[in-house]
Amino acid sequence: MEIKLMRNILGANDEIAAQNRKIFAERGVIVMNLMGSPGSGKTTLLEKTLTRLADKIKIAVIEGDLFTAKDAERIEQAGVDVIQINTAGGCHLDASMIQKACVSLNLDAIDLLIVENVGNLVCPAEFDIGENFKAVVLSITEGDDKPLKYPLIFKESEVTLLNKIDLLPFTNFNLQSAREDLTTIHPTIKIFETSCTKDTGLDDWEAWLLGKVAR
Amino acid sequence: MHEATLAENILNIALDAAKQNHAAKIFKVGLTLGEMTGVEVEALNLSFDVLKKNTLADGAELLIKRVPISATCNKCGKNFRLERYNFFCPECDGILILQSGRELLIDFVDCE
Repeated sequence: MEIKLMRNILGANDEIAAQNRKIFAERGVIVMNLMGSPGSGKTTLLEKTLTRLADKIKIAVIEGDLFTAKDAERIEQAGVDVIQINTAGGCHLDASMIQKACVSLNLDAIDLLIVENVGNLVCPAEFDIGENFKAVVLSITEGDDKPLKYPLIFKESEVTLLNKIDLLPFTNFNLQSAREDLTTIHPTIKIFETSCTKDTGLDDWEAWLLGKVAR
Repeated sequence: MHEATLAENILNIALDAAKQNHAAKIFKVGLTLGEMTGVEVEALNLSFDVLKKNTLADGAELLIKRVPISATCNKCGKNFRLERYNFFCPECDGILILQSGRELLIDFVDCE
């Protein structure tokens, strides 16, 4: 016998993501799902962002990491509440991990929750965690071919940070073609060119992020 | 890499459906996967084959139907099939809105 199902394979995750989204909205928390390759500079961007926004809004961080608490320790230095999730080899965070992590956060005291996902350009794009928007960090040293090679993550992300922009002269990264590919995949995507070590482009990024929280 | 998670979900949904219908054995599980999902079919099959052992789905196979990426222009309203993820309308200055290609569905379970 054939049983017709027509069910979403990720339906269980999507249901929890919807619950998360409802709770975040009720508590007035804006949630950013921060994604990107290992080594693209997600954690450094996060440190810079926290330092800049510390006296303006209340931020908490959920750190996804395969095994270590190294990133969480770095974030704690910035004096921000941070919850570590170790996925023990798992390639992405899912909605139930976020749900569990939020139990130990005082959501009422937070304006912005930043979730740093596991370093990976594939899997995190597929899993809704209940965020308001996704952001993807693409560093110059990864190459300008990445948007077309991993279109889903750039399609899903509202904003892309072309990071380590100070290294542009030392690579064959074609900024124009990368920008064209990004807008081809996602015509309304917002693009920032940043360097977290040289403090380039971070004013614009900060202003944009504050705008998301104020809305 | 997340194919193991997908395979686990597929197996759980299929086993639930089989149990609810008092089935003893699952032969086939039908899936619809959009072309714009990050799914490696080979990895999905491999994960499913490992997970299904010693369950009602022990001998089951995945039947996979792929759905191409299609999108509709927000200005001229025309529908296009996309090959290279170009979301600009080829015929006007509109932007294409995704209509299909993101499907991750379990369509049916064939069992007895």
